[in-house]
Amino acid sequence: MTGMERTEIRLAGSGGQGLILGMQILFRALGLEGKRAAQSQSYEPTSRGGYCYSDLILASDPSDYPLVTGLDMIAALSQVGIDRSLPFIKPGALVIVDERLVETPPTGPFKLHVLPLSQRAAAIGSPRIANIIALGALARLSGVCGKDSLETAVCLETPPKFAELNIAAVRAGFAIERLAPAG
Amino acid sequence: MSSSLHSLQGNKACALAAIAAGCRFFAGYPITPSSEIAEQMSRDLPRVDGVFVQMEDEIASLAAVIGASLGGSKAMTATSGPGFSLMQENLGFAAMTEVPCVIINVMRGGPSTGMPTKPAQGDIMQARWGTHGDHPIIVVAPASVQEVYAETIRAFNLSERFRVPVVVLYDQIIAHLIETVELPPKGSIHTVERKWASGTEEGFKPYAETDDLVPVMARPGDGHRLHVTGLTHTEDGFPTQKPDLAAHALNRILDKIERNRAEIDKVEQIETKDAGTVIVAVGIAARAARRAVQMLRSEGIRAGLVRPVTLWPFPDEALRAATANARAVLVPEMNAGQLIHEVQRVVGGSAKVAGLNRVDGEPIPPAAIAQKVRELVADE
Amino acid sequence: MNEIARVSDFDVKDYLRLNLMPHFMCPGCGHGIALRSLLWAVHELGIDRNKLAVVCGIGCSGRTGAYIDANTFHTTHGRPLAFATGLKLARPDLTVVVITGDGDCLAIGGNHLIHACRRNLDITCLMLNNEIYGMTGGQVSPTTSATRVTSTTPAGNTEPTFDACKLADAAGASFVGREVTRQAPALKNLIRAAIEHDGFSFVEVMSDCTEIYGRKNELGESAEMILSQKSDMVPDGLGNAPDQPFRPNRMATGILARHARPEYGRTYRERSAELRAGTEG
Repeated sequence: MTGMERTEIRLAGSGGQGLILGMQILFRALGLEGKRAAQSQSYEPTSRGGYCYSDLILASDPSDYPLVTGLDMIAALSQVGIDRSLPFIKPGALVIVDERLVETPPTGPFKLHVLPLSQRAAAIGSPRIANIIALGALARLSGVCGKDSLETAVCLETPPKFAELNIAAVRAGFAIERLAPAG
Repeated sequence: MSSSLHSLQGNKACALAAIAAGCRFFAGYPITPSSEIAEQMSRDLPRVDGVFVQMEDEIASLAAVIGASLGGSKAMTATSGPGFSLMQENLGFAAMTEVPCVIINVMRGGPSTGMPTKPAQGDIMQARWGTHGDHPIIVVAPASVQEVYAETIRAFNLSERFRVPVVVLYDQIIAHLIETVELPPKGSIHTVERKWASGTEEGFKPYAETDDLVPVMARPGDGHRLHVTGLTHTEDGFPTQKPDLAAHALNRILDKIERNRAEIDKVEQIETKDAGTVIVAVGIAARAARRAVQMLRSEGIRAGLVRPVTLWPFPDEALRAATANARAVLVPEMNAGQLIHEVQRVVGGSAKVAGLNRVDGEPIPPAAIAQKVRELVADE
Repeated sequence: MNEIARVSDFDVKDYLRLNLMPHFMCPGCGHGIALRSLLWAVHELGIDRNKLAVVCGIGCSGRTGAYIDANTFHTTHGRPLAFATGLKLARPDLTVVVITGDGDCLAIGGNHLIHACRRNLDITCLMLNNEIYGMTGGQVSPTTSATRVTSTTPAGNTEPTFDACKLADAAGASFVGREVTRQAPALKNLIRAAIEHDGFSFVEVMSDCTEIYGRKNELGESAEMILSQKSDMVPDGLGNAPDQPFRPNRMATGILARHARPEYGRTYRERSAELRAGTEG
């Protein structure tokens, strides 16, 4: 391979979990850090709850292939989300799955983190912010983007009335030590 | 002012570019996966004193676009395969009457209703030959969101410059891809206006032959009271069936494109100079091919890419030059084999031409292209 | 007195492209009367020919536009209303008149007709109804009378017909009228009222195809056909009955419907202006 840098990121889960919005927020955060990216997502007539994903490719070459070839990191909020993405996960990749929504965590040559994302979301105030907590955790574990830019991006991409809740979600994700499941 | 970075969806970039190019009229009919363009235009056009209208079908949409353009507006429509099929007759009318217009065709799986939400590249030949009869047309094929923006502007400029319908052809992936786009500062965008008659010229002929073969257009209300017809017509615009006049009329509108190729052609070449294997691709397939070239080069395989940005007229000369020393040419495309026919025509017997086709609604990944090239190299 | 002055003032030659003469119509064709009546109305209204746009479709009706010394557009089959919609929206300063035929308007262009009626853009649509596809050699049309022999109904037409005016009215046209070519001054007045109307106007002109339709059905020479328009304009609906001499339905003439509805183009421009004002403010 050439020296081209390329990072492939996926949020996977089910329709209605805010995965596309989540990726938009990460895109925005990376933009604030001066990085260019390409985002794509599942696009088909799926009912709410069906398999859904959103991908982000960070590449030093802006004309590089903009779709997934091998995932460097993924956060999954449903069983179908992780199961359908498994064939694309690179060895050594960062894999985050929700403790409750992914009943059977995947096995493979990657760094697996089973985290109580959805429980934490409910505890903070809304199950709908599990996507943001996942983003925070992903950023914290991978270092793909900083906390400040993620907090700024979440405010830019979501309605002001949810700013406080969303910032809390980012912080909860970054506080990964406290997210680790008990025992 | 400097340019600014934005994350933009392909279809949205198309709409923003159209407005920036001076488009002030949009007529369309909802169809997946192009509808975001119409939605964006419906929001933006009223703000620039333009007009958006949702017509009763795609036939009416292109008719209204041509009507508005005849009135003097820069006008466009956007659709996908089934709608593009319905537009073919009026597309021919625009070509014949030399009315500038831009048609965005976001390709999805076909034929017929096919796979509305899935990408394909099955309209490559239809975009060139969809309407009946010999006709001039320009088709541009952007491969990134940045290029959708640039090529939509160039489509308007070419259309106004040459009084010819221009099709912007891209697939569902590019349409819905969100990429970082550098938007030029306001006022820095080069836009072209068609040559207008003043309305007072003595003995004005609306289809008179000019040096560049592009006639001067008269706007209703300015003084020249002209006739526009899809019938074969003379320089004064009225129908004729006299063999010499009919041949001259058709040849001029065809030559208008051929003789001005220098202003129309646009090809991107990557690593073709020493390439033993040349890949020819457009759109998302070309993005995959670009990566495949990098993969192959790192293995020491001399691969290169020719990407027609102006797809029609087809870049014969550039491709011939790029493949002069090639032993093999690979054409990856998301159809059963369309672009490959043009490549074979141009390359002839000078190199082996192979296809890599996919018709299942999925993109061709870089690894598949790289593997196919390795096989071609091994066969030599 | 004024009326007479205007009549004598009108010379159709002033509005024609005389260099295109002799014209293309068959002897006895009613379309010339329709054309003359339109130009007469244009004259009386004092419309600047530079600002007059005539949009035609395909067929004999479609060929009439070329003879008018104005901005004339000979478009595709059935689509003149769609072309005119774009033109009028882009150029509200133009007076836009569509000339179409029964096949052009009601068969291949039927969808555009009903939506143009619904949209209510300020366009005047003249549908020249001669009950036949003349240009292509006399095939049955959506308005061909019952039992008539055409080149595609050798045993006589058995298809029911459209009442174009009822159709236009039902679809929302804010002005609907019908007139016969026999009554040129009345036709002129109707077209004049249609052009003056602010909104979409639909005018059905009962025209005659002597050469193809008349001859095949032994309807007589031009004079006989045009005279029969009087007897055919029956006061009440008898349906498309085979015993009727010529015309299929109740053929009331004059202004048949007129409704005050917002003109689409102006409404759109007003809303857009409000939007811009809101953005700026």
